[in-house]
Amino acid sequence: MEYGNSQPTPSSGASALVTQRLTKNFGGLRALDGVSIDVAKGSITLVIGPNGSGKTTLINVVTGFLSADDGKVVFEGRDITNKPPHEIFQMGVVRTFQNPHPLKKLAVLENLLIAEPGYGESVLQSFTRRWVDKEERLVKKAFDILNFLGIEHLWDEQAMNLSGGQLRLLEIGRALMCDAKLIIMDEPIAGVAPALSHSILKKLKELTKSGISFLIVEHRLDIILDYVDWVYVMANGRIVAEGKSDEILKNPKVIEVYLGAQG
Amino acid sequence: MAQEYLLLDIILWFSIYLIVALSLNIEYGYAGIPNFGRALAVLIGAIAVGGVVNRILILLLGIEGRGIIETSGTLKSTVNAMISQNPLLGLGILVLCLLIAALMGAVTGALFILPSAKLRQDYLAITLLAISEVLFLVSNYNTSIIGGYYGVSIPDVLAFVPGERRFLAFALLGVGIALLVYLFVERLLTSPYGRLLKAMRENEDVVKAFGKNILVLRIKTVALGSAIAAIAGAFYSLYSVNVIASTFFRVDWTFFPFLMLLLGGMGNNRGVVLGVFSFVIVKVLLIVYKFEIKSTLHLPFEATWLEYILFGVLMLLILYYKPDGLIKEKPVTMTPPIKHALKQKAKETSGR
Repeated sequence: MEYGNSQPTPSSGASALVTQRLTKNFGGLRALDGVSIDVAKGSITLVIGPNGSGKTTLINVVTGFLSADDGKVVFEGRDITNKPPHEIFQMGVVRTFQNPHPLKKLAVLENLLIAEPGYGESVLQSFTRRWVDKEERLVKKAFDILNFLGIEHLWDEQAMNLSGGQLRLLEIGRALMCDAKLIIMDEPIAGVAPALSHSILKKLKELTKSGISFLIVEHRLDIILDYVDWVYVMANGRIVAEGKSDEILKNPKVIEVYLGAQG
Repeated sequence: MAQEYLLLDIILWFSIYLIVALSLNIEYGYAGIPNFGRALAVLIGAIAVGGVVNRILILLLGIEGRGIIETSGTLKSTVNAMISQNPLLGLGILVLCLLIAALMGAVTGALFILPSAKLRQDYLAITLLAISEVLFLVSNYNTSIIGGYYGVSIPDVLAFVPGERRFLAFALLGVGIALLVYLFVERLLTSPYGRLLKAMRENEDVVKAFGKNILVLRIKTVALGSAIAAIAGAFYSLYSVNVIASTFFRVDWTFFPFLMLLLGGMGNNRGVVLGVFSFVIVKVLLIVYKFEIKSTLHLPFEATWLEYILFGVLMLLILYYKPDGLIKEKPVTMTPPIKHALKQKAKETSGR
């Protein structure tokens, strides 16, 4: 089977996100070369590959942070190719970043509160009491998420004082805050302790039952593979293999391009 | 008597500069938009009074004359006589001036920030400075807008107040307007809107990733900031009873407000109040006593330059030694909803 040039094979059920022959060039470098993937609704789909294989570029193109040179991105049947990031979010897609992007001078709690869709954009609402009621509900939700992530005690700490691992948790917390339909995460458990990584992934797995889909880029295969439904392997901007998590590591191409490159 | 005037001068300048610095705090302190063209919005406030309201009154009263410069002189004496008999007319003109200034400031601000769709930070700052300078020069050399370097006369909206109390009345009026602006800005910035502006300042990508339209946010913010700055320009013109474009020089209305912000501490309004107060005290005292200071210290340059040199040095010192200003920005974590949520949690914990 030739990967990336064919229509993708969804792991099961309807698709949340489909990319079709997505291409992105940076000058002479082809970062994405006809990438087609399918993220099934209510699944966790993993993208792996060595550094520089195009995983983060794929996320950036899907979420509108970079424009595609060719190909299509379809979310829940709607073409979202090259739409601006805020419009893609409003359709129900949220992302986290490879390097945590904390709002440094804001408190941890405030970092979560800005994730609510459409919240805080109205000047007029600042002068009514309407936001107070909404904020009470949001604060409660944010505390629940912080509690789950084990950083509730840091709620009033400025984000710039957090450690690397805590910043990862903050990224995850923000993504969980906004009730998105598709959550795209770039290395969510890098730098997070194994025990907490497992409980985060268990939580994500739990969320898939309510129909939320996840597209995750991650290197820590020893931890994450048990939780994912479908895996795509990228190298040099192409999808070179795909399959179920328990089979993918046996694929000789994967061993060659991914594990081989690491080893 | 001299000391009383000195105090009133401090109060008046404090009020005017507080309004401008608060407007800049919304845009730069909170939203991180480097508006190096602040002076433009202040000038727009002056144009609203000298160019727009003046013309409305000239039309309404049927005053005739050659050009705005000459006609405004006649208008001033006519309207002053009317206001001295009818204080409500003066107050009505005052409110009209401030409203038109705010409206014109908002529209100008919204158009002014459009280049930010393509430009970021330093390029944006330089572009805004350039736009501001161009419009300043046009206003200064084109005598048909607000009389250019000749200026235009403005009716005295407090002409009903006896001459010796006029200064006091304007100082009190300035404090009143500044207080209202402070309460407005404080309410705005401690709401989720203020939080979102800080988030935009800290990391635009995050704000975009969470569905917010950065350009719309910038347009709203600069429109608001410019409306407030224009109110300061209008009030200053009403106090001066004339408008001369050259008064709205970038050093006084862009550089100094930035200095006040840096001095007090950005991103919190209490810091701005402290910054403006400290600056105005030093500025007024320097103006009053600069010749004494020059002769005492045997300075080798004209006393006029002392103010600029000292403030330039002060800005460098702040940036180097106290980049967070006198009052450091703190996260807003004790809003009523958060307090309420914390109380609920405490109850739940004690109930277990």
